Amino acid sequence: MTAKILVNSKLVCVALNDKAQLVALEATFNEAPYKKPPTQPVLYYKPHNTWSTEGAVVEWAKDFDGNDVAEMAVGASLGVVIGKETCRVSAAEALNYVGGYTIVADYSLSEQNYYRPDIKGKCLDTSAPVGPEVVATGKVANPDALTVTIRVNGERKSTFDMANMERSVAELISIISRIMTLQAGEIIAVGFAGDRVAVNKGDKVEANIEGVGTLNNTLEGA
Amino acid sequence: MRHARIILDGRELDISIDVNDRITTTEGEALDVAMNSEKITWLPPVKQPGTIFALGLNYADHATELAFEPPKEPLVFIKHANTLTGHKQVSYRPDNIEFQHYECELVAVIGKTGKNIKREDAMDYVAGYTVCNDFAIRDYLENYYRPNLRVKSRDSLLPMGPWIVDTADVPNANNLRLTTEVNGKITQDGSTKDMIFDVPFLIEHLSKIMTLNPGDMIATGTPHGLADMQPGDTVVCSIESVGSLETKIVSEQKYYGDNY
Repeated sequence: MTAKILVNSKLVCVALNDKAQLVALEATFNEAPYKKPPTQPVLYYKPHNTWSTEGAVVEWAKDFDGNDVAEMAVGASLGVVIGKETCRVSAAEALNYVGGYTIVADYSLSEQNYYRPDIKGKCLDTSAPVGPEVVATGKVANPDALTVTIRVNGERKSTFDMANMERSVAELISIISRIMTLQAGEIIAVGFAGDRVAVNKGDKVEANIEGVGTLNNTLEGA
Repeated sequence: MRHARIILDGRELDISIDVNDRITTTEGEALDVAMNSEKITWLPPVKQPGTIFALGLNYADHATELAFEPPKEPLVFIKHANTLTGHKQVSYRPDNIEFQHYECELVAVIGKTGKNIKREDAMDYVAGYTVCNDFAIRDYLENYYRPNLRVKSRDSLLPMGPWIVDTADVPNANNLRLTTEVNGKITQDGSTKDMIFDVPFLIEHLSKIMTLNPGDMIATGTPHGLADMQPGDTVVCSIESVGSLETKIVSEQKYYGDNY
């Protein structure tokens, strides 16, 4: 198993981009420590040590005492692969900078809160498989009209219609490119279903987007 | 010994600098150029940058300055190579903001792969130290993954360098004077002895979560003494026994040029 890592230099993920999740958390987000709902995309990185591939085993996380954690969760997103240097582009031109599409799975500890960067929960080794391949932009007519599904051991656990994203793919590329210049091969995971899917040791997980592919991974066994 | 990356006469070079400021390339070629020569373009000192970890609120006095309780566990956030720039380069001030401040920080550069590293073994994994200026745009703070990427992941806003100093040449990293000068006036004056979580602790902590790799960097936070920066300002972040890192602030328009 020597699938190639598809990420080049950076994997940016967008949290809280599911409108239904924002509605559900609105009261929480008006209280401390948040005080008001987010006005900008909520972004996090999956750093180098997390990057993995189609078919790979995802390590089961350990707590600070070295014991296996009780539970992990998975989300899946369309991965927008940047095709060329992208600096301060408008939403209207943003899709011209896309080189292709793939699927990003984000394995993590369960999402407890969004106040501080979730290094402990999100930066686990091998927790960001990306794949199975990068498909050409011509194969995806409208990246905002796709559906992301997650199956665990063959059973469908999550369905996310990207039409329900708070911000579109083009808007996100534009906003992010005004924070950081993006380079070819860098990937943006644009939106996850608000409810992450709980997984157990040994589970087989399939993340699917029609026209983009199916990303298969297995949780480390018992 | 100090190790840096420069461009000189169109050549990108990995260099070592001895105690007498003599510069030699890794191929052993002695360079006949003075350290302060305008001919040298200083690059960020880590050739293949990995994950950049940065610490928030890691000095008790700075935490108080920002009206926070000192944290009980490290507040860590991640940056990427788009933020890096070298010594004597420019960083930009975004348009239409009220408050951009420097943060002078000691950086530990990881030299060896490791996971579950014990505190007492941690220094075996450090290749050396450098200085960074972890600029922040306070206007952009929001209470989601704070400090958020809009504040801390901007192009050019992490000058680093001028060089990496071997750990052997920094006998006590926990007692180094750290100062920042803006336009020649000292505005920040602290010591790494006031760090809440030191480098060995941070390596143990992070490596319990994830594998650390060569080229990863840990920027260890800043003491109190913040000041706003404007285009035209020159800021110098200095750490005793490590180095002085100079940065000039330019406007967003000047920085981005045709992409503005």
